[in-house]
Amino acid sequence: MEIFTTLIPYLLRGLNITLSVTAIALGFGLVFGTLLAIMRVYGNPALSRVITLYVGVIRSLPHILLLLIIYFLIARIVNLSPFWAGSLSLAIISSAYQSEIVRGAILSVPNGQMIAARSIGMTRRQAIIHVVIPQAIRHMIPPWSNEAAIVIKDSSLVYILGVPEILRQAQYYSGRNPTKPFNAYLAVAVIYFVLTFLTNRGLDALEKRIRIPA
Amino acid sequence: MVPNDNIILKIEDLHKSYGKEEVLKGVSLEVTEGEVVILVGPSGTGKSTLLRCINQLTTPDAGRVWVRDVELTDPQADIDLARQHIGMVFQGFNLFNHLTALDNVLLGLVHVLKMEKDAAQEKAMMELDRVGLEDKYMNYPGQLSGGQKQRVAIARSLAMEPVVMLFDEPTSALDPELIGEVLVVMKDLALEGMTMLCVTHEIGFARDVSTRIVFMEHGDIVEQGPPNKILNNPSLERTRQFLGKISDLH
Repeated sequence: MEIFTTLIPYLLRGLNITLSVTAIALGFGLVFGTLLAIMRVYGNPALSRVITLYVGVIRSLPHILLLLIIYFLIARIVNLSPFWAGSLSLAIISSAYQSEIVRGAILSVPNGQMIAARSIGMTRRQAIIHVVIPQAIRHMIPPWSNEAAIVIKDSSLVYILGVPEILRQAQYYSGRNPTKPFNAYLAVAVIYFVLTFLTNRGLDALEKRIRIPA
Repeated sequence: MVPNDNIILKIEDLHKSYGKEEVLKGVSLEVTEGEVVILVGPSGTGKSTLLRCINQLTTPDAGRVWVRDVELTDPQADIDLARQHIGMVFQGFNLFNHLTALDNVLLGLVHVLKMEKDAAQEKAMMELDRVGLEDKYMNYPGQLSGGQKQRVAIARSLAMEPVVMLFDEPTSALDPELIGEVLVVMKDLALEGMTMLCVTHEIGFARDVSTRIVFMEHGDIVEQGPPNKILNNPSLERTRQFLGKISDLH
């Protein structure tokens, strides 16, 4: 009983933050990642090399280390709350991975699509927006679903900046109720599982919904 | 210089190399209004490259191209504007895979010509009707046969009201029984007076429909003339040999 009166409300407060951090990281990550991918595929070679390096560096470092580095970098320049600093750090990390997903999806659209679009007088920008991207999105969903699952779990990393997301809340709870530390962590595990499961199911449904009839 | 009024397409001393391989070695060609010019020649002689150098999908290394009075090789030219009126049909169709037949035709009308939705829709349906596919307008490319796809691709080009149509081996990727339906559409187009430049090995089509056959080899035009002359009595032994070979096949 005590679980329902104290543990659940405790975790729900953290759940709000977990969902917000995840949404910010995935959302900003998608926008940044898409821009990076477009610049990498269609930009000039120098820009493309810079972005390749950027993506390569981020992909080679542990997320928790990057979170600390970016946090202290951001904290020096602007005065951001740990919540925003953590969320934006995760967004920057995710943008590197998402740019790879978008790049792969763009490259999987046959070159003839761009050529046909240009041949009827579309500008490159129009062709990218109306022809390439709508097809790339369909190729993107399965790998993006994977990235979403990773970001949901990575949202727990903002815990090291003191942001009270569900894992942090569970730890508080366990500290105050040292006899049953297991309950809180098990509840958190169930929450992560449900979040990831529902997200992947939702994206599967979206993939089927926008599949091109053949 | 500005070409005279009824010259639709003028190509002057066009050169293009890929690495050390010179694909076009100074090709010159003029096409006047209503002409149907067939480009034939062995593969790798630069026929497709020539077509792509016309609408600048491939940038030529040297030489000049005019369509009507617009020089496309002029660095100042608005190439997107010029391409609106140069139809192009590809061997691989290149229909927009995520769009229905209707939306394939609509896309250019709405985003390039900025037509009103209703007027564009009407126009697109008319073009699909013209290629005999008005009942397939809701089908996606994946739901169409190769011949139907190519007819949609032709409708997509025609909707832009081109002054010239470029065909790059439009029937080469088709099963033999589907070739006819595409050639019928092309023949109708020719009879309506469309100016056409067409790379194809369909000698029967060339004989029936074309006003001129141009034989290309090793990156240059070797011989050209009316279909009767080229098919029955070419000046060069090489032309006779090549046409003999493809006539056996078709």
